[in-house]
Amino acid sequence: METPNYDNEFDAIVVGAGLAGSAAALTMASQDLDVLVLERGQSPGTKNVFGGVLYTPTVRELVDVDDAPLQRYVAEKRYGMLTETDETAVTMRPGEWLQEPHNDSYTVLRGSFDEWFAEQAVDAGATLLTETTVTDLVREGDREDGRVVGVETDRPDGTIRAPVVVVAEGANSLVSEGAGLRDHHDREDVAVAAKEVLQFDRDTIEERFHLDGDQGVAYNYFGEGAVGDAVGGGFIYTNKRTVSVGVAYSIEDAAAGRQNPQDTLDAFKQHPAVAPLVRGGRTVEYSAHAIPEGGIDAVPDLVSDGALLAGDAAGLVLNNGVHLEGTNMAVESGYRAGRAVAAAVDDGRVDDRALATYPEALAESFVVRNLQHYDFFQELAVDDREFLFSELPRALADAETEYFAVDREPKEAHAEAAKDRLLDATGGYVGAAKRAWKYRKLLS
Amino acid sequence: MTDEEASGEGEEPVHEGVWVFVEEHAGDVAGVSWELLAKGRELADETDEDLVALVIGEGVADVADEAVERGADRALLADDPVFEPYRAGPYGDQFRALVEERRPSIVLIGGTTTGRDFAGRVAVPAEAGLTADCTELDVDDDGLLLARRPTFGGDAMATIKCPDHRPQMATVRAGVFDAADRDPDRDGDVETVDVVVEEGDALSRVLEREVGDVADITDADVVVAGGGGVEGDFVAVEALAAALGGEVAASRKAVDEGWIEPARQVGQTGKTVRPDLYVAAGISGAVQHVEGMNDAETVVAVNTDPNAPIFEHADYGIVGDLHEVLPELTERLRGAPPEPTA
Amino acid sequence: MTDDWTIVVPVKQVPDADDVTIDPETGTLNRSDAPAVLNAPDYNAVEAALSLRERAGGEVVAVTMGPPFARAVLETAVALGADDAVLLTDRAFGGSDTWPTSLALAAAADELEADVVVCGEESTDSSTGQVPPGIAAHNGWAQLTYAEELEPRPDADELVAVRNVEGGHERVAAETPVVVAFEYGANEPRAAGLHRKIYAETEFEPEQWSAEDLGITDDVGLANSPTQVGGMDTADRAEREQTVVEDVDALADRIAEVTADD
Repeated sequence: METPNYDNEFDAIVVGAGLAGSAAALTMASQDLDVLVLERGQSPGTKNVFGGVLYTPTVRELVDVDDAPLQRYVAEKRYGMLTETDETAVTMRPGEWLQEPHNDSYTVLRGSFDEWFAEQAVDAGATLLTETTVTDLVREGDREDGRVVGVETDRPDGTIRAPVVVVAEGANSLVSEGAGLRDHHDREDVAVAAKEVLQFDRDTIEERFHLDGDQGVAYNYFGEGAVGDAVGGGFIYTNKRTVSVGVAYSIEDAAAGRQNPQDTLDAFKQHPAVAPLVRGGRTVEYSAHAIPEGGIDAVPDLVSDGALLAGDAAGLVLNNGVHLEGTNMAVESGYRAGRAVAAAVDDGRVDDRALATYPEALAESFVVRNLQHYDFFQELAVDDREFLFSELPRALADAETEYFAVDREPKEAHAEAAKDRLLDATGGYVGAAKRAWKYRKLLS
Repeated sequence: MTDEEASGEGEEPVHEGVWVFVEEHAGDVAGVSWELLAKGRELADETDEDLVALVIGEGVADVADEAVERGADRALLADDPVFEPYRAGPYGDQFRALVEERRPSIVLIGGTTTGRDFAGRVAVPAEAGLTADCTELDVDDDGLLLARRPTFGGDAMATIKCPDHRPQMATVRAGVFDAADRDPDRDGDVETVDVVVEEGDALSRVLEREVGDVADITDADVVVAGGGGVEGDFVAVEALAAALGGEVAASRKAVDEGWIEPARQVGQTGKTVRPDLYVAAGISGAVQHVEGMNDAETVVAVNTDPNAPIFEHADYGIVGDLHEVLPELTERLRGAPPEPTA
Repeated sequence: MTDDWTIVVPVKQVPDADDVTIDPETGTLNRSDAPAVLNAPDYNAVEAALSLRERAGGEVVAVTMGPPFARAVLETAVALGADDAVLLTDRAFGGSDTWPTSLALAAAADELEADVVVCGEESTDSSTGQVPPGIAAHNGWAQLTYAEELEPRPDADELVAVRNVEGGHERVAAETPVVVAFEYGANEPRAAGLHRKIYAETEFEPEQWSAEDLGITDDVGLANSPTQVGGMDTADRAEREQTVVEDVDALADRIAEVTADD
């Protein structure tokens, strides 16, 4: 039995058929490159976990979003601050979100979307192999600093070579770590997330969340009522017939034994503000995953020795408390990586200098610009956790209770008391001003 | 063949009679044969036809006699050394010759490794309809056999008919029907038929046959099965099985661990059993196992994990360690009156 | 006849067992949502065939009867190591029960001059187990069902199998050509090699044969199927009482009740 050998038959190998991997593969295949994508799951998406919302500006550049399996578009966002018993929330329903393109924000089920997205890459000419796990990168001469010339997989005769490797393996970046392309994530740079998908019928979801047709909601919660005293928060996203509910918080807190993800999630689901929204749903899926949250400082070299890093594997996730974005970052980085490789192959040179157009382009893009702009946030949140997650939510709840109390007393006293309660928490007007200054960048 | 082909000039349909294959090896009759004979009797009575038992073997005249005692109006006996031990070719060829000569309307064969092996060798050349592993058999007003069977691993039931082709053949596994009783006063005749098979025709030969040393759990009325919870020690399981007069069985886990022989494995890659009582001890209840025992009349589960899926597939259960519960049960049941008959 | 064997492996594409549902309104199977996969017992059959090839020499050819997209299971077989594959595809095959299905596969095996045909013992969708004996009967070949071990004897034009029968085992020697029904789970299917899988999924093209190519156009399809499905419904799965008792005595009582009923 003669089996052909495909070493160096492909222009590039992509590790992982998630959002970054398929974006890279699709981009390269569209430029007539021969691309091999290796996915460890039974089909793309089966190993992928997110909240979540798919942000589609870059996706729209690559494919026809109208053909994609989307769940609901985000018509309403809510930010809720929770103490153990109270909720203070801001709900937003800008009219513009109800019109196409719906602010490019859609809930999706990863099993369906990623499979479809990968199919687009295959239709463009990429070769996709599933149930194939890349275990290591191959370096020239087996030297630690040798050029990356291929990958090893868990299949028999499982080594294959190609001039370029795009590593889009996700948050559990064992391959890139093992090959020395990046360091192991520092504890403080990773969050752990646990999520349940609850099944309802369409009518229940639409009634409960006040939705029509394809409208959906994206709710984010933080405070001690969400994830106890960990730094992080909870979320609820509506899909067509299911609701995703979950929590994500700093792994340092998880490791310190303060919280276990399953218990944290259960507690969140039982919060008086959350329970009515998730009541009666049948759990059809439970998953847990890691989220890189180290910000710009934790992003490794994006090109080294002929290998490119994209998506979660490169730590490209934005979390500044209000913006939680990984999907668009992954797709944009995959796209940029793909373009860089295609241009380099076209030029006949795939060394690191040629591939440098990737990090350069990314630096100009919203991906790096946003990470840089908000790089203060993670550390600030940890330093200020007492205030942000306990004192502030409690102060607000107390102040609201005070301010809106109905009794036979004159309102002035209540208003005074409410104000005092707030100033107490912030450290007076001066304290409030200092804080506002610290957090100014969130709004600028 | 169809009735049209057989009748040629448009005569009356010529396929008549309910036939039941009586399986035996070295004179030992497989229990399923008597179960099918009972069902065959029902069908024959409904359609007002003869019930004929097919006995193929060597030195098996007594089996033919017993078939009559158990309800057959007639037994056809093909007796020859070429038929012992069993082989698909000789059995298939002989049976097929009889079918083509005598034209039964319905043929029932036990769904054993023997029946499911040679039934096709009859059905294919006879262009007969063959339905496997039926769990229900009826005839409609026109004498058409309605054979019901599970598909998709048991998630769906299909009703199969053979509108035009005869005979209508079906295999049925052990334990689906109840066995026919023996009545020495029953009348019927045993006809010895010509043997049309010769040793020279055979395409195979049996080099070795070792049976009897290994358990046949498919025939048992009571099965006590042990799984991962047994942790290497089947003593408690064996004791309970003995007390109940049943067979010991196991889940795949126990077999893979080497704690018990593979012949006792129940499940998708093991055997299917339909006992009156199935005790699942230390078995989690994975779908692959449940598929092999879900048709048991009564299921009892013992497991330390209250959330084990097995409890959903059991009629009665107790949360506890089988190494404590089973001995207690055995104690209790040994003291109890009537020993169950097999 | 050379010593090298031609080993034909009929494979079947089935709905993924976990995903099939019944449409409650029409009572028909909703196969379209379930992804189509290679019938699980066929992995053991392919592995058995590859093992025979290793010991007896020769080539392994996978065959499937189905619509054009059934070629996916042929790619799976080739990825695992089959040398070649044939897709039997034709509208004429539609509605076939096991009689014409085994005829088509028998005709293909004959055309390929098979010495051994290795089938999975049954399919997870219809689970009749009737196709292997059917193939043997159509061609007048020997058969070995419930085989859990195979021993090739190409010099003697024979194949020996250990059959797993009630209460024990038997070793049977059969003349080639012979049809084997290989037991589900009786061996460890190997994983497909990386380059082989790439080849199977990109360059490999199975041969395609129609009913006419095999000369069986008038012998297949619904019209030539002796059995017809009269209706389908969801099974009444055994309604279990699901009673959990507190103490062993209560359990013993229940068991005694059950075993006392004769």
